[in-house]
Amino acid sequence: MGMKEESSTEEGGASLASVGADAKKRRVTYFYEPSIGDYYYGQGHPMKPHRIRMAHNLIVHYSLHRRMEINRPFPASPDDIRRFHSDDYVRFLSSVSPDTLLDSRHLKRFNVGEDCPVFDGLFDFCQASAGGSIGAAVKLNRGDADIAINWAGGLHHAKKSEASGFCYVNDIVLGILELLKLHKRVLYVDIDVHHGDGVEEAFYTTDRVMTVSFHKFGDFFPGTGHIKDIGVGSGKNYAVNVPLNDGMDDESFRGLFRPIIQKVMEVYQPEAVVLQCGADSLSGDRLGCFNLSVRGHADCLRFLRSFNVPLMVLGGGGYTIRNVARCWCYETAVAVGVEPDNKLPYNEYYEYFGPDYTLYVDPSNMENLNTPKDMEKIRNMLLEQISRLPHVPGVPFQTMPPTLEVPEEEEEDMDRRPKLRKWDGEDYDSDPDEDGKAISRDIVDDMEEEKPEVYPSSCC
Amino acid sequence: MEEWSTLLNGSSLDCPRVKTVGTFAGNSCSFGNDVENGADRDKHKERSLFYNLFPVYLKDNCSKGSLLPLPVLVNGHQLDLYKLFSIVKEKGGYTVVSKKRLWGSVTQELDLNLKVCPCVKLVYDKYLNDFERWLKQILEENILKRGNSGCDGDCKWLPLDVEKEFRGLLCPNLREKDGDELVKSESNKIEKDTDLVNSVNCKTDINLLETKDQNNKSEGVQHKDDDNGEKFFNGVKVDPTTLGAEGAEKKSKSRKRKHKREPLSGMIIWMKHIAKYPLDPLTQPIPKPSRWKAYKGQDFFGQFLRTREALSQRQHQESNSGLPSLQKQKMHPAMYEDHASLGRHATEKVRCCKRLPPSVMCKSRNENRLTGSLHMEVEKCSLKKTTKTLDILTAKAISEPYGSGSLEKQVSVGPRFQVEVPEWTGVVSESESKWLGTLTWPLKHDSGRTTKTDLGKGRHKCSCEFHGSVPCVRFHIAENRMNLKLDLGSVFYQWGFDGMGEEVSFQWTTEEKKKFKDIMSSNVPPQNKCFWSNPSKYLPNKTRKNLVSYYFNVFLIHLRSYQNRVTPKNVDSDDDEGQFGSVGDSFGMEAVKGPGDTILECSLSEQCTDVDYWGRHN
Repeated sequence: MGMKEESSTEEGGASLASVGADAKKRRVTYFYEPSIGDYYYGQGHPMKPHRIRMAHNLIVHYSLHRRMEINRPFPASPDDIRRFHSDDYVRFLSSVSPDTLLDSRHLKRFNVGEDCPVFDGLFDFCQASAGGSIGAAVKLNRGDADIAINWAGGLHHAKKSEASGFCYVNDIVLGILELLKLHKRVLYVDIDVHHGDGVEEAFYTTDRVMTVSFHKFGDFFPGTGHIKDIGVGSGKNYAVNVPLNDGMDDESFRGLFRPIIQKVMEVYQPEAVVLQCGADSLSGDRLGCFNLSVRGHADCLRFLRSFNVPLMVLGGGGYTIRNVARCWCYETAVAVGVEPDNKLPYNEYYEYFGPDYTLYVDPSNMENLNTPKDMEKIRNMLLEQISRLPHVPGVPFQTMPPTLEVPEEEEEDMDRRPKLRKWDGEDYDSDPDEDGKAISRDIVDDMEEEKPEVYPSSCC
Repeated sequence: MEEWSTLLNGSSLDCPRVKTVGTFAGNSCSFGNDVENGADRDKHKERSLFYNLFPVYLKDNCSKGSLLPLPVLVNGHQLDLYKLFSIVKEKGGYTVVSKKRLWGSVTQELDLNLKVCPCVKLVYDKYLNDFERWLKQILEENILKRGNSGCDGDCKWLPLDVEKEFRGLLCPNLREKDGDELVKSESNKIEKDTDLVNSVNCKTDINLLETKDQNNKSEGVQHKDDDNGEKFFNGVKVDPTTLGAEGAEKKSKSRKRKHKREPLSGMIIWMKHIAKYPLDPLTQPIPKPSRWKAYKGQDFFGQFLRTREALSQRQHQESNSGLPSLQKQKMHPAMYEDHASLGRHATEKVRCCKRLPPSVMCKSRNENRLTGSLHMEVEKCSLKKTTKTLDILTAKAISEPYGSGSLEKQVSVGPRFQVEVPEWTGVVSESESKWLGTLTWPLKHDSGRTTKTDLGKGRHKCSCEFHGSVPCVRFHIAENRMNLKLDLGSVFYQWGFDGMGEEVSFQWTTEEKKKFKDIMSSNVPPQNKCFWSNPSKYLPNKTRKNLVSYYFNVFLIHLRSYQNRVTPKNVDSDDDEGQFGSVGDSFGMEAVKGPGDTILECSLSEQCTDVDYWGRHN
């Protein structure tokens, strides 16, 4: 897709040029805590909450806020965090500070120290991050929004009673728990370069949450995410792991992401989707080793968005902060249906984006160690695993045309692929007005009462 | 721990571990004499097997710190653990005994005063319950690994030599003491059919763990794994001849038994030595990692490399085969608790640093030792005592890491790991509205503005004299900022835009700025580090938050503008641990400033007119 220097700014901005269902706008809610950028993990630490502020800055300078509702999150209380985390861990987190004498036993027990340092305002940071994700879930639950974004969330490594990989409180698990109040099945998709181990582990034994993680596997943090880790008990087959190798590029990624997610959406039919958009899978990340461009990364969001299922979009990793800001700004644009100009508007952090000062990150010429043969093997294996899932109870299964091969369409066309399984886009007007609310309420009712009608066979 | 000793009437349990194991081995002999019920030979053998296994278990588990080592003293009497174990087994196991309140009779059968009944129960709970689980697990896993169903309840007997071998395998103490001699004698027997090994397993299984449910379980597991086991072994593409010994020994028990093991144990001892004494000079230096591929030597290092390769191949095979994970099958639901603790153990071990790639990480930790990944492996071994447990018939061996390449972490299962997901009832519980947070946008009165057409719009072309220079960029940023402020109104402050960008520096005096820059650009990282841990020492008027804000909003922007113009091929906004090199250098700053500060001041002061200018020209 050639870059248009001056994208059209017709009515509603440079909305996706596509016709069809996906050109419909979505009601987007975005959570932002203004103080988030001031938290500092410590000198030399690659995790920099400042990137969220940079992303927000770009978003506003692109005027994307005009298409969204923006909320400041309500901080999650220790009690709320305890819905997932263990009592003693939460007690520790809420009381610890760099000044208090640290008990080394605690540090070890909760894995706090090197990777996960105790920094000033640590718990406030966690509260904001978790509050945003829970808020996003509530927004979706109430039918106030179709897409809810929290770039301060997505901290997918945090475990029930221990910190891990720069993550302390697992806002994703808390958000999903909130979604589960209203939705029977929730799909979690993770495109961070690291395995989404915390979320996978939390829901490893349940079929109410399906986790799908695309990640670098082998000699890489956190070490989990083997293709054969598929869940246990009633959660068996409800954990999907896509292990990848260095140098993953847009095309290969898409060749796995689309067919796998397509199949999951068909078979599992989630009522809500959570997408973790860790930006460390981008080319040139300080810790990552993939070679995705911003567009390739955002394509995942674009694809999930096209299914018209309530969607929570979260942040995650990302350690080359200029690229993180670019990526999340662009993804916000995708969410609201705007195609932003590649030339960055002048903004307070303009110099961070030099020397090219553009929005898109171009992939490098690094070698892609994922051979087509490996990819095919992985794809087939996982599609086979997904097809082992029982069909969603209460929903007569529609025989879908096989979509094992990569969709052939050009990128321009992909938005035209209607995936309206949930409700018909016809009477769905996305302008944030009362009609929209009323309709989506009805939809929620529909989902509960008359399953068969919810998924019309008129897909594809 | 304290309570525990009081419970046992003050008898001391705080024996050093090593000693414990030693003492214990002694026990096994002395107990030989007072066997009850006519000293039936089977019982006798069982007993000695028990006392051989138990120290292994202790050794294995004490490192977790979860358990206090023996000896066990109840009321001054030495408690015969084996006896206790077998009595409880006879009665149906711990749960059944507890349920039926049979602990009194157990105590009586042990010829002990009823008063110590709770202690007996406690002893069982504390030591033997876990042991039983441990044993079960090992046996199950061995059955799994072998995938052989050729055993039944009849194989109670056991050829003496096999048993000896079995015991030798089980008891690392023995092995370590007797050293090579034992290894040799073992290697002679190693050609034994795997069936024999299985019968050993089944024998222990049935004799030691004969409770009904256990029987069923092991049968079930065995059955389930029948074909898998076979495929699994076929899938191993290790060619023994290229290894000079069976390379898969470390992981695959049956392989180990099919081939001679002698050369490999030499290698393992060699590795163990390196692990234990990393600073010892080696008789033969290890070549550089780049040469490893071509290394053809027949020495221990050569063997090591081949073994490593074989293992990684095997892993690859495994990960590509369509079989369900072997590891998963180990997770019998009945073992969740136990597994959880194992899993946890594993987690602790593998907790690695996310920041650095593993090779870098290990190097930085042990710079002055060996090189590369060999070192990683060796270090891991030393940390986790892998080499010691290598030959033990434990389940762990299979999951022990051999270099992070073959490191496979398992997902921990149990209430300590999963979140409690409520059943779907269809009843929707309301969410609290507090979660909606504070609405900051859209503004209530803002409805008219949404028609604006600047959505997604990038920067315009500028016709500044020095296009792209720092002053030009600064000017346009200020311009855009002004527009935004007008547009957003109070929201500008609500979103913290007033704390974004170089304007943050307005709150700093020139002196403070200079000091900050000096500290940050100082090429002495320790000073750098000290600064962040105690910034008020250097800049008493600034809070930590001020400093962080200044760092990201001013300092880094300066650094980046320098990089963008002077070293555009080498830009980095993210390595704040490295040295900032030329940013503090006056030459560098000159290069950035170009025409100088005067222009900047001019453009700032002329801002209004310039905005008008742009207004007219767009």
